[in-house]
Amino acid sequence: MSTFIKDFIEKEKINRRNFLFTSACGLGGAAAMGVLGPGMARAALTDPTIAWSYRNRTNPYWNEIVSGGEAFVESLGMPKDALTHLINEGSSEKSLADVKAILAKTGGNLALAIDTNDAPNARPVVGAVAEAGAYVSTLWNKTDDLHPWDFGDNYVSHMSWSDEGPAEQTARVLLEAMGGKGGVVHLGGIASNNPAIERLNGLKNALKDYPDVELLAAEPADWDTQKANQVMSAFLTRYGDEIAGVHCANDTIAYGVLEALRAEGIEGMPIVSYDGNPQAVQLVAERKILATVFTNPHWGGGITAALAYHAAIGTFKPSEEPNEHREFYGPTIMVQPDDALEFKANYLDSVPTYDWTDFWGPSNGPIVYK
Amino acid sequence: MYQLNKVDKKFPGVHALKAVDFKIGRGEIVGLIGENGAGKSTLMKVIYGAYQPDGGTVTVDGKTVRFQNPRQAMDHGIGMVFQEQSLITNLTVMENIFLGFERQFVRFGVINWTAMAEAARHQLRKVKLDIDPSTVTSKLSFAQRQLVELAKVLTLEERIDGDLVILLDEPTSVLAKEEVELLFSLVRELTSRASFIFVSHRMDEVMELSDRIYVMKDGEVVDVVAHDAANIDAIQHKMVGREVDKQYYREQKQRPYDGSKALVRFDRVGVAGKFNDISFDLHPGEVLCLVGTEGSGREAILRTIFGLEKPGTGTVEIKGRPFERTNAQEAVARGVGYVPRERKVEGIVNGMNVYENMTLSQMGNYASKGVLRIGEEKALAEEWIKRLSIKTPDVYKDCGGLSGGNQQKVVLAKWRSGGSDIFLLDHPTRGLDIGAKEDVYDMIREMCDDGAGIVLVADTLEEAIGLSHTILVLKDGKFQKRFAGPPGDKPSLYDLVHHMI
Amino acid sequence: MAKTLTADKAGTGFSIRRETLVKWAPLLVLIVLCAFFAVMEPRFLSTRNFARILIAASPALMVAIGVTFVIIMGSIDLSMEGTVSVCAVAFAFCFLWLGGTLASWAWLALPFAMLVGAVLGFVNGLIHVKLRIPSFMASLAMGFVGTGLAMVMTGGDRIRIEDALFRSLLTERILGFPLMVYVAGVFLLVAWFIQTRTTLGRNFYAVGGGEDLAIASGLNVNRVRVLGFTVAGVFFAVGALLAVGRIGIAETATGNNFMFLSITAVVVGGTALWGGVGGVWNTLVGVLIVFVIGNGMVVIGLPGYVQDGVLGILVILAVILSTDRKSISFVK
Repeated sequence: MSTFIKDFIEKEKINRRNFLFTSACGLGGAAAMGVLGPGMARAALTDPTIAWSYRNRTNPYWNEIVSGGEAFVESLGMPKDALTHLINEGSSEKSLADVKAILAKTGGNLALAIDTNDAPNARPVVGAVAEAGAYVSTLWNKTDDLHPWDFGDNYVSHMSWSDEGPAEQTARVLLEAMGGKGGVVHLGGIASNNPAIERLNGLKNALKDYPDVELLAAEPADWDTQKANQVMSAFLTRYGDEIAGVHCANDTIAYGVLEALRAEGIEGMPIVSYDGNPQAVQLVAERKILATVFTNPHWGGGITAALAYHAAIGTFKPSEEPNEHREFYGPTIMVQPDDALEFKANYLDSVPTYDWTDFWGPSNGPIVYK
Repeated sequence: MYQLNKVDKKFPGVHALKAVDFKIGRGEIVGLIGENGAGKSTLMKVIYGAYQPDGGTVTVDGKTVRFQNPRQAMDHGIGMVFQEQSLITNLTVMENIFLGFERQFVRFGVINWTAMAEAARHQLRKVKLDIDPSTVTSKLSFAQRQLVELAKVLTLEERIDGDLVILLDEPTSVLAKEEVELLFSLVRELTSRASFIFVSHRMDEVMELSDRIYVMKDGEVVDVVAHDAANIDAIQHKMVGREVDKQYYREQKQRPYDGSKALVRFDRVGVAGKFNDISFDLHPGEVLCLVGTEGSGREAILRTIFGLEKPGTGTVEIKGRPFERTNAQEAVARGVGYVPRERKVEGIVNGMNVYENMTLSQMGNYASKGVLRIGEEKALAEEWIKRLSIKTPDVYKDCGGLSGGNQQKVVLAKWRSGGSDIFLLDHPTRGLDIGAKEDVYDMIREMCDDGAGIVLVADTLEEAIGLSHTILVLKDGKFQKRFAGPPGDKPSLYDLVHHMI
Repeated sequence: MAKTLTADKAGTGFSIRRETLVKWAPLLVLIVLCAFFAVMEPRFLSTRNFARILIAASPALMVAIGVTFVIIMGSIDLSMEGTVSVCAVAFAFCFLWLGGTLASWAWLALPFAMLVGAVLGFVNGLIHVKLRIPSFMASLAMGFVGTGLAMVMTGGDRIRIEDALFRSLLTERILGFPLMVYVAGVFLLVAWFIQTRTTLGRNFYAVGGGEDLAIASGLNVNRVRVLGFTVAGVFFAVGALLAVGRIGIAETATGNNFMFLSITAVVVGGTALWGGVGGVWNTLVGVLIVFVIGNGMVVIGLPGYVQDGVLGILVILAVILSTDRKSISFVK
């Protein structure tokens, strides 16, 4: 425990110091880049800085993503903390400012993996990176009209997940468990959030085949355990015994739902969730949750960094790759009680050693725009 | 020109103005004097529109008007130069002068600073102030700020048709002697532009400057004297409304004090910037009155005794020992009780009830291990309510809802019940009606009989003279003269004033 | 003169009526809300539903009571999210380390968590008083430190507390209400006792009602402030324990949302932000209003964003009402 804290603080300190120090010198580098002119195409970089820009580590999901990035860095024979962390704390402005600062600091010798926090922010980030001659791969957020192939080699790839399909699959598991009849409630993420919308749509798609099941209510629970607990309690008041199944937008919500049911002494209520957090998988194994979807954020975080890095050092030339290698969906694995323990052993208890040059093996097909 | 006819104003519990008639002619300087609480400030607020009268009428050039707010009064040419200076110190002089009237300089949403500066210079010339209008106000001296205020009010001249009436509220209180003379000569010159109402507690100044003087007492105008007919003694009598009455200040109850020991001993004490080299002893049963103008160091001495100021030089002994750690807690523990001037701010807690206020300084006596014995607190409060005839329905009454006199009694009860025997009274009768004042005087005598020592900063000189055994006159933080005041052989007002100014 | 008297009576009569209105307005709002939801959906008015509301409200009530004391002093404490997280996580670690069930020495984790809360509050108060940093800044910063600390302790993981005995806080019911509701009730009474019966509680009001006056009465205002923050920290810790008891999980996110919830509840309950007015019963009413709205909106089937809007309007109304009350004291 204590060594962990010490290491953590030590690491943070070094990162901070290096960052401050080099960003001070970096301004000069940026000026030099300006002289060389924008759009300068360099064949490849040598030994680029590898950076991950994301929200923060308090969120277990992002923690997984970044641990993938770290695993990738370690696979290159470097220590974990060779990965530079750019933490945007949910601010698009900070995200962009951090990117510009590190571009200046490294003089464009950079392989960047990033979630730009919101979709509109992707264009300025990608633009800045391309202009500096660095390489970037994006995860999750970008606008539909922004494509890697419009930026030559510098915008390497974009990976995202479509949650609609997997959410539909879990919904079918749920509806089957309900015997195809009764009422179902949905507890969603933050109302305007894209994954939240897709996961609810998945449920709605599945419901089309189950005319005897009624969607009683769908209420946002803000990805929050305590909020979910409260909303589920209120659902119990409103619908009581009519509720025969619960569709949760993610695992954290499911925890709150389970506790709300426990408080009422209700057991065996069919519940499905999403994300495949270790504890949720454990609950699946215990059959308290019937299914969750694992999106392998560890792989996603690692491969996004790997793509940017290998494009940067010239392992492959992005512009020669087909479009489905530049915009693609991430992997999804549905976890159900029968395979939960095995899954847990393979993916969670011991992190598999991935081949970080198998860029597209586990991916899930090209991104489709509606 | 401007006239008030039988104007009445009432507040809960106070009839502040009683059928006041008042008029001012073109180019006239009218003085307004009265004791604190006589109704001067209420009258001024009615004149410049901050208060609306409950009865009577206000006429300007014969037409009845009713101002809802000061802005409307300004539109009729009535401006006010505030006693607490109303300039915003981090703005420039010109911004202050045209505060709220910048629109005349705005073109397409942008202020034309050159035009504003020129206009400001024009106003400053009226008051003969030769400063750059873009100076930040905080850089000016108080006298200069006073003139800027006057210049600000004089902008009315351009803005409205008709005559100006300008109220000067204690304009000299922060000025040096020469500055006062300058201001006066300026005001005399400006009578070509405006009429002035001059409010001051300095009778000599009012008499010097004014054409006519209104004397107020208890919300009424008791006399109007022309400049030539004015006589200080006569006005004094009118103001106080009685021969300074021995009964009033309970002189018959004044007993000699016990000079054998000292409760408070000041030995050549000084606090930087406040006062220096002050020595006195306060004895049991003694009322020691500090007399001087505002800023003479009276309050600072009280604060030093209470441990709120640390003396830079000399020694302060409370009951024979100096403070170990100079703070109010230790002073309270030594039996010092402080009745501050701002009762609302420092005297009673609004929202706390009578017994809570009474035990505030001595909760330790009513608690075991931090748990209060509320029954005892209430018993104490009931006892003192009876003893001081505090008018409150019960001990649960929010002190904020009591009248000023009763609040003051609660404050005094707080210290007396806690066993304090050194009382610091700062303007204890400010804002109280006559009956309540007399109650306070009675209490002061009672406390002396109990062997307490009292350091008093009185509301009026008469009060100081009437109540005290000993008077120390201070000026600019320096000791001037000590008077003894045994019953029947009190120093006169003029003895004191002579040393004060 | 007679005229004056009647005028006076009318004047005070009006202000008393207004004060009374302000005093009882929060309770009135609560009753009206309950009545409204009950009419819209009769199932709202059931013991089970009230139990659900109270389960949700209990942790927030503790946190809100803590901050009530600080607000009565005229300061504000925004460290609750960090403090709750740290206390929850510290409790969980200590609990599991000592055996993981209340039937062992692990019960010591309960007072330990409260001690952690007290220490955090104490440090918070010390920073505010000794470094003369405005309380909202000092406490906000402490809150961030707390969240970071909880993050470092857990490394971003959730810690499950499965002990059936501890979870009986949620699962055991007396008269239809789980134990945690009674625990919250006991601490509410403790808070009320502190507020009305101890010198400390009296001092909170004195400091909030007039700091100058408190000094002039010989109170050690700095000491009172530090103690206020310490007491608040203890109540935050109790809130953390109940939150863990409710969800069975201790994590960095345990503290999420408590700032908004508790401050809203305190304000809606009628405790004035400038201090000196209000108390724990106001806070109880405020917390109930917030959670009745949260529950009732879902129960009658209104979407979530309406909830937030209604809460926002209530906060504004509450502030307007209590501001009026203040200006009345200005009227001479």
